[in-house]
Amino acid sequence: MTTARRNVRDRLGWVVDGILPIAILVAAWQLFASIGAINEAMLPSPYGIGLALFDLATGPEIRENLLVTLYRAFGGAALGCACGVAVGIAMARSEAFDAVVSPLVSATYSLPKTAIVPLLILWVGIGHTMAVLAVFLTCLLPTVVQTYHGVTATPNVIVWSARSLGASRREVLWHILLPHALPDILTGIRVALGFSFVVAISAEMIASTAGVGRLIFMYGENGSYAYMFAAITSVVIVAFAADRLLLLLSSRLLSWHVSQRGGHS
Amino acid sequence: MMQEKISLKDVSKAYDTRSTEVLALDRINLSVADGEFVALVGPSGCGKSTLLYIVGGFLDAEGEVLVNGAPIDGPGVDRGVVFQEYALFPWMTVRKNIAYGPRQRGMTDADCNNLAARLIKLIGLDGFADRYPRELSGGMKQRVAIARMLAGDPEVFLLDEPLGALDAQTREIMQDELLRIWLNNKKTVIMVTHDVVEAVFLASRICVMSARPGRIVKEFRVQLDRGRSREEIMLSDEFNRIRNDVWLAVREQALLMPKQ
Amino acid sequence: MSVSPRKSRRLPKMWLSILSIVGFFAAWQAIASAQVVPALFLPTLPSVLEALRAGAADGTLFVDIGVSLFRAFAGLLVALVIGVLAGFAMARVRIVRWFCDPVISVLFPAPKIAFLPVVILWFGIDHTSKIMIVAVSCVFPIAIAAYEAARSINPFLVWSALSLGASRAKVQWAIVLPACGPSLFAALRVAVPVALIMAFTSEMVAGGGGMGATLMYSQRFFESPTVFAYILAMLVVGVLMDRGLLAIQRFTPSLSDQV
Repeated sequence: MTTARRNVRDRLGWVVDGILPIAILVAAWQLFASIGAINEAMLPSPYGIGLALFDLATGPEIRENLLVTLYRAFGGAALGCACGVAVGIAMARSEAFDAVVSPLVSATYSLPKTAIVPLLILWVGIGHTMAVLAVFLTCLLPTVVQTYHGVTATPNVIVWSARSLGASRREVLWHILLPHALPDILTGIRVALGFSFVVAISAEMIASTAGVGRLIFMYGENGSYAYMFAAITSVVIVAFAADRLLLLLSSRLLSWHVSQRGGHS
Repeated sequence: MMQEKISLKDVSKAYDTRSTEVLALDRINLSVADGEFVALVGPSGCGKSTLLYIVGGFLDAEGEVLVNGAPIDGPGVDRGVVFQEYALFPWMTVRKNIAYGPRQRGMTDADCNNLAARLIKLIGLDGFADRYPRELSGGMKQRVAIARMLAGDPEVFLLDEPLGALDAQTREIMQDELLRIWLNNKKTVIMVTHDVVEAVFLASRICVMSARPGRIVKEFRVQLDRGRSREEIMLSDEFNRIRNDVWLAVREQALLMPKQ
Repeated sequence: MSVSPRKSRRLPKMWLSILSIVGFFAAWQAIASAQVVPALFLPTLPSVLEALRAGAADGTLFVDIGVSLFRAFAGLLVALVIGVLAGFAMARVRIVRWFCDPVISVLFPAPKIAFLPVVILWFGIDHTSKIMIVAVSCVFPIAIAAYEAARSINPFLVWSALSLGASRAKVQWAIVLPACGPSLFAALRVAVPVALIMAFTSEMVAGGGGMGATLMYSQRFFESPTVFAYILAMLVVGVLMDRGLLAIQRFTPSLSDQV
């Protein structure tokens, strides 16, 4: 196969391998729904869901609620990850700080993240603050752990090389430790992003007046199942898109990393 | 009298393990003159790399370490280093790796790039300036590591088994390079190696260390005419006599090692 | 050798950690009893312990823990069976892999809790729906781990068994499954906290008994000591589960990472 042909096949590959299986699945689903083999009340047909999705997309409902959820998830995640990186670095550089903070870190490791929602409701009531705070606290842990791991795994010989070339301790942090930890930090952010959606939507389902979690629940209670499924689909799409975007960003930032395709042994 | 460049007085290093204290180096006294090429050889685990790291300022130790008469205070730009693992910065291109030292010294971007370009040409990696370390072979990475150290313009070269990870052919080529650079610069070099032949080929002075705890037990002065070709040097009786003596000395120390 | 934190010369590390934990509780008690914030926001330590004791005494605490754990582990079991089957199928049959790949890629980053209303619709509000949401959440990491492990199995193991006369099915269960043990166990260590979170969260959202339901209940009635008590209890349960898994791994060498 010539290189040109192979490139085209590579590029179209994701269409065949990515979309086709899902298309087949949806088509089969629609087929069973059309011949009445599926209870429409339990599982609406793809067509029904599609209509509902279109209706939601063109109206304000989904936009407002989805944006609220995204604001909470991304906002909390951004704050949580930034603080997580800072704490992780501090723990990696000072044994005293590490000793004091690590028992707290280990404790929250085993705590189910959504368990703090009722506590936060007690403290700050229902609403934005509660959700953002819950997401913030949830995103701290994975980022701290990953940052700490990435920084402490920096080989001594690299740090020493930098020092002997004139880098001060502060420059070692920015030029050496952080770049070395970047792959791990990005992994932590990817995990945190996943958590942020779960916690934001959980918080909304548990007690909130807005957000797509609330929307899904409301549709369920009202019996508007097609709309419920449509809202869930929109969440799945957004979560998938956000994850892909992060992966794309990561591969750009990590083009130097040995895990990338190509290069020497 | 040649100026004393590096001076170690009663340098000892102990490690605290969970159960005991392990003495890695035991009262090392060493004096290196300006322009000398000293090779540290000895059995595995004798602490030769540890000694190098102490001179580099990367490890603390008891005793005195003086460079140009003054005690050292951690790592410094006066002592450049090349490690066996290359230790290149993986997120920087070849050019940026080499330009790191000059940039830290405050050189302008243009000057940094010019210096990097010259060195890249010197090590024969023209065209690889914008590649990342992961795209290079072992030999290429080692050359970049050496160029990076040279770009930092240190007074002392500290080399920790710099050619240890290379195959035999590449190693010989790199040895010729190192020799050429040293003959041109006349800098002070301390090199750790387990390869006796390499030590005799390159160094003007060889220090043999004992097994742990490391002490310097024998020294050899090597005065070969290095202007000759490699074949002439390595086939000469002189070379082989020194090589045999050094090899024997190292072997003695290796045999004295307690069975692990 | 890699970077380690700068050594602090004063106190040995372990003492600082203990001091930190003790300090945490001491600060809690100090702030609570000083009434700086209303007791609603920060109940005193004794009141929380009292709530725990009361819950233990009349058994509600243990019933709740039992219900939640039952749901978590039942869901985990379902996820394990389906995940391993799916993962092995993906490793052995190319069509299955082709089919499942995009489905998994799309669903993996999605917050599974969003499916809770669907699951409730299908399975009602009691145990089954909670078990199902746990299963849905845990099946992905397990399936992926099973697939990766089965895929990278040493072919010599399989060939040796086949040449000794074992049938394909026997090879799958007697050779492949045990060889995947360490990876599956690692996936399990990830899945257990997920199972607990999903069990607790689904109880918080939909009620129906269990620790999550009681937690929400006590929050709605502003019984702060119970809220704190149950959060602490959840924490302890989480820690115990993880420690339990580690202990199992230690006593079953076939589950540890082989060299």
